[in-house]
Amino acid sequence: MATANLEIKPTPVPPPAGVLIHTDDLWKTYQMGSTEIHAVQGVSISIRRNEYVAIMGPSGSGKSTLMNLIGCLDTPSKGAYWINNRLVSEMNDDELAYIRNKEIGFVFQTFNLLARATALHNVELPLIYNGTPADKRIERAKESLRLVDLAERMDHRPNELSGGQRQRVAIARALVNSPSLILADEPTGNLDSKTGVEIMALFDELHRQGNTIVVVTHEHDIAEYAHRVIQIRDGKVFKDEPTARAK
Amino acid sequence: MLFTESFKLAIDTLRSHKLRSFLTLLGVIISVSTLIAVVSVLTGTDLYVRDHISNLGSNVFAVNRFGIINNLKDWVDAQKRKRINIEDMEWLGENMRLAKAVGGASGHLSDVKCGNQSLQDVNIKGVTPNMIGIGTEQVQTGRYITDADYQRHTYSAFVGFDVADKLFPGLDPIGKEVFFRGQSFTVVGVAKTIGSAFGQSQDNFIIIPLTTFFKLFDDNRFQSVSIQIQAADAGLMQQTQDEARLLMRARRHVKYADKDDFGIVSSDALMELFHSIVGVVAYVAVIVTGVFMVVGGIVIMNIMLAAVSERTHEIGIRKSLGARRSDILLQFLVEAAMLSTAGGVFGVFIAWVGTQIMSASTPIPSTLPVWIVVTAVLVSAAVGLFFGIYPANKAARLDPIAALRAD
Ligand SMILES: Nc1ncnc2c1ncn2[C@@H]1O[C@H](COP(=O)(O)OP(=O)(O)O)[C@@H](O)[C@H]1O
Ligand SMILES: [Mg+2]
Repeated sequence: MATANLEIKPTPVPPPAGVLIHTDDLWKTYQMGSTEIHAVQGVSISIRRNEYVAIMGPSGSGKSTLMNLIGCLDTPSKGAYWINNRLVSEMNDDELAYIRNKEIGFVFQTFNLLARATALHNVELPLIYNGTPADKRIERAKESLRLVDLAERMDHRPNELSGGQRQRVAIARALVNSPSLILADEPTGNLDSKTGVEIMALFDELHRQGNTIVVVTHEHDIAEYAHRVIQIRDGKVFKDEPTARAK
Repeated sequence: MLFTESFKLAIDTLRSHKLRSFLTLLGVIISVSTLIAVVSVLTGTDLYVRDHISNLGSNVFAVNRFGIINNLKDWVDAQKRKRINIEDMEWLGENMRLAKAVGGASGHLSDVKCGNQSLQDVNIKGVTPNMIGIGTEQVQTGRYITDADYQRHTYSAFVGFDVADKLFPGLDPIGKEVFFRGQSFTVVGVAKTIGSAFGQSQDNFIIIPLTTFFKLFDDNRFQSVSIQIQAADAGLMQQTQDEARLLMRARRHVKYADKDDFGIVSSDALMELFHSIVGVVAYVAVIVTGVFMVVGGIVIMNIMLAAVSERTHEIGIRKSLGARRSDILLQFLVEAAMLSTAGGVFGVFIAWVGTQIMSASTPIPSTLPVWIVVTAVLVSAAVGLFFGIYPANKAARLDPIAALRAD
């Protein structure tokens, strides 16, 4: 094992301009006792600015793990990953926090809102962590809530909102810092199909406004909203092709 | 910015868990209220002692036979000392240059009669006429002992308020006679009431000329004069004392290497004695307080650890939105410090109630010195910060994705 440290690694080649996300042979391995689980096995993908991509695959295929790696919430076991032409493996803890704050807006299946905080405060949170002054913060959070059509519910706590409304608060929160990338993991998974359609329409609109969107899903109808579908099987890219909407 | 955010969060948590917060803070509360109560009582007692015990006028010290004695050996040694007599006092009065006034007093307990009324253990004090300016007694009616009384060894009596009240209730005592030591004295004046110290009346005395006093009590070999010397001002107290000491040593032929064969008593010296007792009490109080603070700190640490695991998911959400380690650290540190500071403030409140009750039910005045309140609150904040470090650091180091998965 000692020799591994002396091994000279080839310098990873940075992606060309215009590419927002670039992974090169990305691996994530979990150690479960004596057995190793390879959740992501050598994924190499590139996502350009203003793309609308769906990552599709059956349950347990490694979609969430891949999304967490792309969102800098998790660190890969192996491989290189660039976001906005910056090599993530070289970043320290604070820089990763900065990327999560400025470059990425997360939308989770379970919303992940702070239960004790109002909608407005939930949307304000990313701005708090980059030191935006209070008056500006509130103004921008309100604007973001207006964008998802929830301005009049800003004083409500999550338990006073419907599932669809909660997800819209989460989307407003993801948008508030104008991130480079919106990452959504099964955003409609906890919603009825009608509400799901509304949420997907919202992503459509955000894409039209120039946002880069990556949606993780196991449902075909959801994936069809995207302009490109990356199919994952057993942690590997199985298919990567444009959808009918790309034309 | 982030600090105000953390501050709001901490208030929020405190509010939503009132009972738990209170129980958490019991250690800090007990600790702070003990500390403040002890300091407050000691400060109050100190004031009280200063006002009531020393019985010396302002800028006055006494030169007497025994001084302040606080052990048996000194007491035994002091028995061999020569008495201090009126001649010593008068000689000092003639030779001191720094003293504003030199007077003298001597005392003895005696039963006093008036007709069929009688009082036991009245403090008979012989004084020089200038003691009216040196001592603490003041004239209510009539007059004090005069030079003429002193020169002619008259049987005039200036009586304490209680003596007048008990022997001549409802009557004007001036001109009336009182009897003690087989002599009849004429009351010439009544003193203003002084009050009581530790439940003992301070008004139970009869003042007569010092010269007359020695005629009455000269057979008693313990009877000695306490020379009362008033310095020109507070700044000259030490120098005046030094002068008196030098003169007394010369007059009594004390050898250079020997200790004084007389004592010098000042309010400061009395306070010093008192403070040596207070020191022990304060020392014990600090230890008790310290132990409770540590216990309180450990409880806070445990509660904060519980809060961290309870809020792991929340920490994950915050991290996913860009919170740095330092942000999370600050959030929990502020919360711990706020929690313990609240305990400190509550402790101050309890101590305040305690001192109010004390001052209402005892003669000791209630004091709540600002410095101890500030110290107590700062110490409790520091305890919260210190014991908050471990839980806060634990929260800050949580892996974002692991924290997000927790529920
Ligand atoms: N923290 C973990 N520890 C161990 N195994 C994990 C962990 N997270 C995910 N896995 C495993 O990795 C595989 C991929 O999981 P995941 O990325 O959640 O799949 P998906 O989101 O596509 O349903 C699964 O087999 C899952 O059991
Ligand atoms: Mg998943």
